[in-house]
Amino acid sequence: MTMAPGLRRFALAAHVASSVGWLGSVLAFLALSVAGLTSQDTQTVRSAYLAAELITWSVIVPLSLASLLTGLVQSLGTTWGLFRHYWVLVKLLLTVPATVVLLVHTRPIGRLARAVEHTTLSDGDLTWPRTQLVIAPVAALVVLLVTTALAIYKPGGLTRYGQRRRRTYR
Amino acid sequence: MADPPTYSGTGAGPDRGAPGGAPRWVKVFGIIAITLVVVTVVLHLTGNSPGGH
Repeated sequence: MTMAPGLRRFALAAHVASSVGWLGSVLAFLALSVAGLTSQDTQTVRSAYLAAELITWSVIVPLSLASLLTGLVQSLGTTWGLFRHYWVLVKLLLTVPATVVLLVHTRPIGRLARAVEHTTLSDGDLTWPRTQLVIAPVAALVVLLVTTALAIYKPGGLTRYGQRRRRTYR
Repeated sequence: MADPPTYSGTGAGPDRGAPGGAPRWVKVFGIIAITLVVVTVVLHLTGNSPGGH
């Protein structure tokens, strides 16, 4: 099923906007988690983790799901397909785990937000979860930059399925 | 994602695919991905898991 050109452009715009938005919001999350880990000011630490939880649920999670969904629409609704080209397949194999890992990491984010609501964190408190909330967005940024590069450069290579399909429709 | 392939033989398109096995960049990606997954599993098994669980 191939989309009409107008619809395809709209779907492409939605995919680019949600993917780039996801990348930007992860960058904002990283700034907050670094502030939460390194700041000596208790109000800054408290605000950082509360804001981190807020943007996780209100921006990052919706954009990640939108990016995944619009990516599926883009691939299935065009002749690129989902399993025909390695670059599309690799993008999918990066985006799905990234989304799952993001959803898993909402737990420690929530735990830190609950902690700062009721207590004041000092330097040694919850060091690993706080460090992890710096490492995770850095890893996510790497994945999102790789998927962006794949979408732009589109390195060649047909999967076996893609080769079979190409022979069939030639 | 992007515009569909043009089949023009230039730029992005399926004609650039090498016949047979996976291209080298896919193999490099696979090796890096497997290494990262193994490192992550080891970190989790040694107790350095998300939130310490």
